[in-house]
Amino acid sequence: MASAIAEKKKKSKRVSYVPLLLMMVPGLIYLVVNNYLPMFGITIAFKNLDFRKGILASEWCGFQNFEYLFKTKDAFIMIRNTLCYNVVFIFGGLVLSLAIAVMMTEISKMKIAKFIQPAICFPNMVSIIIVAYLVYAFLGSDGFVNNTILGGEGISWYKESKYWPAILIIVNFWKSAGYGAIIYIASISGIDKSLYEAARLDGASKMQQVFQITLPIIRPMIILMLLMSIGRIFNSDFGLFLQVPMNSGMLYETTQTIDTYVYRALMERNDVSMSSAASVFQAILGFVLVMISNLIVRRIDSDSALF
Amino acid sequence: MKKRMNSEKRFRYICLTILLVFTAICITPFLLMLAASVTEEQALVREGYKFWPSAFSFDTYKYLWAKRETIFRAYMISILVTFAGTAVNVIITSLFGYPLSRKDFKWRNVFAFVVFFTMLFNGGMTASYIIWTRTFHIKDTIWALLLPNYLMGGMNVLMVRNYYTASIPDSILEAARIDGATEMQIYTKVLVPLSKPVMITIALFAGIAYWNDWTNGLYYISNPKLYSINVYLNNLMNNIQLLTQQSTLTEGANLAGMNLPSVGVRMAIAMIAVLPVLIIFPFIQGQLVKGVVIGGVKG
Repeated sequence: MASAIAEKKKKSKRVSYVPLLLMMVPGLIYLVVNNYLPMFGITIAFKNLDFRKGILASEWCGFQNFEYLFKTKDAFIMIRNTLCYNVVFIFGGLVLSLAIAVMMTEISKMKIAKFIQPAICFPNMVSIIIVAYLVYAFLGSDGFVNNTILGGEGISWYKESKYWPAILIIVNFWKSAGYGAIIYIASISGIDKSLYEAARLDGASKMQQVFQITLPIIRPMIILMLLMSIGRIFNSDFGLFLQVPMNSGMLYETTQTIDTYVYRALMERNDVSMSSAASVFQAILGFVLVMISNLIVRRIDSDSALF
Repeated sequence: MKKRMNSEKRFRYICLTILLVFTAICITPFLLMLAASVTEEQALVREGYKFWPSAFSFDTYKYLWAKRETIFRAYMISILVTFAGTAVNVIITSLFGYPLSRKDFKWRNVFAFVVFFTMLFNGGMTASYIIWTRTFHIKDTIWALLLPNYLMGGMNVLMVRNYYTASIPDSILEAARIDGATEMQIYTKVLVPLSKPVMITIALFAGIAYWNDWTNGLYYISNPKLYSINVYLNNLMNNIQLLTQQSTLTEGANLAGMNLPSVGVRMAIAMIAVLPVLIIFPFIQGQLVKGVVIGGVKG
């Protein structure tokens, strides 16, 4: 009798998975369509794609597409640009965001902080198309820089590739430094205030407090953010490199990245094989790098690791 | 001791000064855009962009009103896509996140991995493009603005799951179950009301992504009737770029001959595209900051 009751109790406790699975159906369908089917689409890069035959029936061609891709000058330019810009963005962005976070913490008790905080995050909230319009207002042929600052002695900014590394770096920092500071402001606000009190009694200056207390304590967070951005080093902000230079062909030397190449090969030259080779190259290297950086994060601070 | 106080005060004011300068740098480009949109057209062509125009004119906004059929159509499409996309996103994300948070759901880790893997690896843009256009034929339909990329993100699913796991006690679910509630009733009557903060955060991220999106339009839309406001702005600029690159004339001279909106009008359109973000951002930024802090670590 007792065992029968226990049995019954056990049964009623075991929930049916059917309603739970039904709840997941819409999301699962979306993941399959939006994420998993394209993963199988990677095979396109290893095929001589013929749309009349369809993807599955097209002939395999091994690494031929990649061979062609890496024989072009484009391959070198886009990989160099993607990596170089990202190195500057990652390390420069880190320094700027940390500096902003330290300064914001310093003034956090002032009323004006409530205005500064949203204002410096705002550029990250508008679309890159708007950013491109803003840059154009400054650098266009009748723009603010040529007309007002240079007094009519115009520079054709959109025709000279040598200016663009500086322009893109400035635009990137303008857009994302304030937003990037949020995470560090949060970590700094978690630091025990009594540490600073003790340091002050010992006569430490503000700068010393920053370098001796703040930075060492949030170091795990800094390393984590760094590693995660290094995991994405083959990805570039597509809009920044396509829209801000106005998709200008004369600027490819300094504005072409893997993402813009994938777009241009696919949509402007209809070259599916080159485009897919570049995008698969990016996806696979990106995956490998994420795995490696996660491995390192787990060694340093296993709680912060993605898995 | 007094000396120390002074040096700390000085440090504080140096910080304030630098931050104010940076704030000014962040804001001025928008002011320049606003100024350009209310500058008299001749003055703009003659003198270029100025922060304080020599001659004011609201002709640009009148022009927008006259062209409302195309521009406001794009605006309405942006609004429609943003609301529909955000609503569906929040619903399917939280529906998906809930079972993953249930400790008595044996397969939850399998499904969590299915979500998680999409954050590590993707098939690349070319494969996505071919799947969406060749298999699902979304090119030049409104679905193209809604479906690719933004409907449900792995990051958000995991955020919802963590929220449910951490802040909804099992005892509440247990009590509801004893009262005879079905899973769907538990979700709608218990979970949804309790998880408002995380739902709002997701809605904000999704809403901003949809409003600001232009890549879906770039890849999948060529019919001007389906342009969203950002896609419209993008195409406008492309057309003008193309024309100015092909000719040696200056931009102002070019535009006069071809029925294209002047610089001021373009800035006015950009202005109305920023406006909704500008209006709601001060109200949502606190919530957004919380979302970044929760999500930033694991994203």
